[in-house]
Amino acid sequence: MGSDFTQQIRDKAKELLEKGTVECVIGYETGSDGFSARPAFIYEPAEVERLVFDNTCSHNLVKYLLNKKGKPTAVIVKGCDSRSLNLLLSEKQIDRDNIFIIGVVCPGVVEWGWNNRSDQLQIRCNWCRQHNPVIYDFLVGEPVTEGPPDDFADIAAMETKSTEEREAFWREQAEHCVRCYACRQACPGCYCIDCFVEQLDPEWVGIRIAPEENLMWNTIRAFHLAGRCISCNECERVCPVNIPLSLLNRRIEREVLGLFDYRAGMSEDAVAPLITFMKDEKLGIGE
Amino acid sequence: MSVDNGPLIIGFLCNWCSYAGADMAGTSRAAYPANIRIIRVPCSGRVDPLLIVKCFEEGADAVLVAGCHPGDCHYNEGNYYSRRRFALLRALLDFMGIEKERFQVEWVSASEGKRFAKIVTKFTEEMIERGSRKAS
Amino acid sequence: MTKIIGKNELESWLSGIMKERTVFAPTRVDDLILFRPVQSADEIVFDYENTNLSPKELFFPKTETLFTAVPKDGDIELTPTTVDQEVILFGIRPCDARGIAILDGPFLDEPADSLWSQHREKTTMIGLSCTKPAPQCFCTSMGSAPNDASNVDIMLTQVEDGYAVETITEKGEKLLQGVELRESDVQPPVPTCDVNIPAEGIVEAITKMFDDPYWSRLADRCIHCNVCAYVCPTCYCFDIRDRTDKGKTERIRTWESCQSKGFTRIAGGYDPRADKGTRLRQRFCHKLLYFPQQFGALGCVGCGRCVIACPVNIDIREIISDVQKIGAEVGQGSN
Repeated sequence: MGSDFTQQIRDKAKELLEKGTVECVIGYETGSDGFSARPAFIYEPAEVERLVFDNTCSHNLVKYLLNKKGKPTAVIVKGCDSRSLNLLLSEKQIDRDNIFIIGVVCPGVVEWGWNNRSDQLQIRCNWCRQHNPVIYDFLVGEPVTEGPPDDFADIAAMETKSTEEREAFWREQAEHCVRCYACRQACPGCYCIDCFVEQLDPEWVGIRIAPEENLMWNTIRAFHLAGRCISCNECERVCPVNIPLSLLNRRIEREVLGLFDYRAGMSEDAVAPLITFMKDEKLGIGE
Repeated sequence: MSVDNGPLIIGFLCNWCSYAGADMAGTSRAAYPANIRIIRVPCSGRVDPLLIVKCFEEGADAVLVAGCHPGDCHYNEGNYYSRRRFALLRALLDFMGIEKERFQVEWVSASEGKRFAKIVTKFTEEMIERGSRKAS
Repeated sequence: MTKIIGKNELESWLSGIMKERTVFAPTRVDDLILFRPVQSADEIVFDYENTNLSPKELFFPKTETLFTAVPKDGDIELTPTTVDQEVILFGIRPCDARGIAILDGPFLDEPADSLWSQHREKTTMIGLSCTKPAPQCFCTSMGSAPNDASNVDIMLTQVEDGYAVETITEKGEKLLQGVELRESDVQPPVPTCDVNIPAEGIVEAITKMFDDPYWSRLADRCIHCNVCAYVCPTCYCFDIRDRTDKGKTERIRTWESCQSKGFTRIAGGYDPRADKGTRLRQRFCHKLLYFPQQFGALGCVGCGRCVIACPVNIDIREIISDVQKIGAEVGQGSN
């Protein structure tokens, strides 16, 4: 897979840059440890040889499109990433006309740390039902058949714990949190110019890096992605203290799926569940 | 942070129905426990989830949001949005260790003074039974 | 002759200390290794590469109250925070100890930071040499070494039947009083850190290429989280705000980072470092240019934490090499 995909991506990138279709191709290159991928920004046709694609290409590059507004840009997306592209298109954050999408049928990405090789698929790939990109201009790879619906076993396991145990669990996670906001910075859905956590008036979240404040941050961060999270799980990958943020995101995702039969980012004109309603629905609220 | 005599409950009441309903409870002398601290908001749709989470962070034992019955919103559709929003928030809070019983959403009209008193009384009794969220 | 303490004696010595003072040591917290107070020697992880977060948080906690203020008799009573707890920091790596020592520069420069100096005074550091440096390490290039004992009170180096003990300071000597050490002619191994980063002349090189477009290209990749600053043993930027609760006001200092968007925003909304390239450049210029200019030493100790923690592989070692290369080119162009 790797070398063939890499070659197709390089050829396409070269063509796009030579023709002047785009100014920049956002893809992956080999990082400083000599094997794991990192994001790459290619501006010249001669540089396309830097591009690679393999099973360490975890980063969701769609986030970077928010910095390229108004500039014709090509971006490489895996299945999950392509859903975030739809999310940003439906929220009118990026302009479809300026973006050339190179979709890659994702083989799954492996667990890796710097200089730390493994064959184990990342947890995001266990629940992934979107190996094929949902939106693209050029497709690399043969579309695959997606697996049966996700059973959210990780969420169910967490729910077997008592409320007190869950509260203690999250409190402990909050104690580890250093509020570096890497989760926010990596998330394609987090693009507010002024994040609530940095607002001073009202000061929603206090300045202390302490469990209460950290819990408030993590709760609202997850909630602001309700019906918007596309499960690329970048937030969890980038967390320096390994907080299992996917549990929060996926708890909401399961609820959204159950109540509204909705999966975020499946089409570019989707209407997110929290910006619409049905008059006669029963949601267990005020009944 | 409990008040001396029982749980601390924060109530967000919509100006047009539920706040008037609470008023009605007063004028018709329907008594209810003083554990609830009422905050008047223009609409249940105005209640940002941040407000709810902030209440719990600051030590509230329970939160009540009350608005117009579906179909009766002064702004036509505010409560439809809040219904969806709070259905998700309640699930998330419960998952994070704040039992869903501690966060209630009710529809109370301006004429339902007695019902408002009943809701608050029942809610308070439930919270007394459950006990304070934090021993602090 | 080398002085040796056996593993069992070391553990019983530490257990003895734990009864009287708080001992912070590398310990497993979920899947992380962090400096945390330990109650028994069993909790200590001896064979770790390095902790996920640096031990700077013992001297410069992520959140610390500077003073409290309460109204009293029509006036306001201010109570500064004092550090009363005697702390033993066991198992600190030489790179991290160097990090603490070079932070004395900014923190103890007059007027000295009272909390930093109190933490320093109350803490005794027992260092642990690295036996095998991790792939991300480059301490020797930054003027330290895997067995550099210059910034700790006691230095331990693992040998076959225990640990070789070097007593460096009076504080260390006091702590070791009454501990029986075996004399041996075993020579402790001298571990090496082979990675060689061309740090020499970096100040001149980075000055020359200060305005190079390199920084904005690098910032393409940076997602501007604060991970690098928060794992770094020498990043010391902070924010201060007041917090009032039930009539009591605390002035609180917390970690902040030059990478966050609002960090340099001033009244009126103007931000002199609004674009990502200049923010990223600030981080590296602070380490490799401003810090050496102000305090003599490079502001990086080569612990490699930012290298592994960065979500997008912004690697300071690669940057140092690039800066040298571009600096040399720019230098030639101007001649």
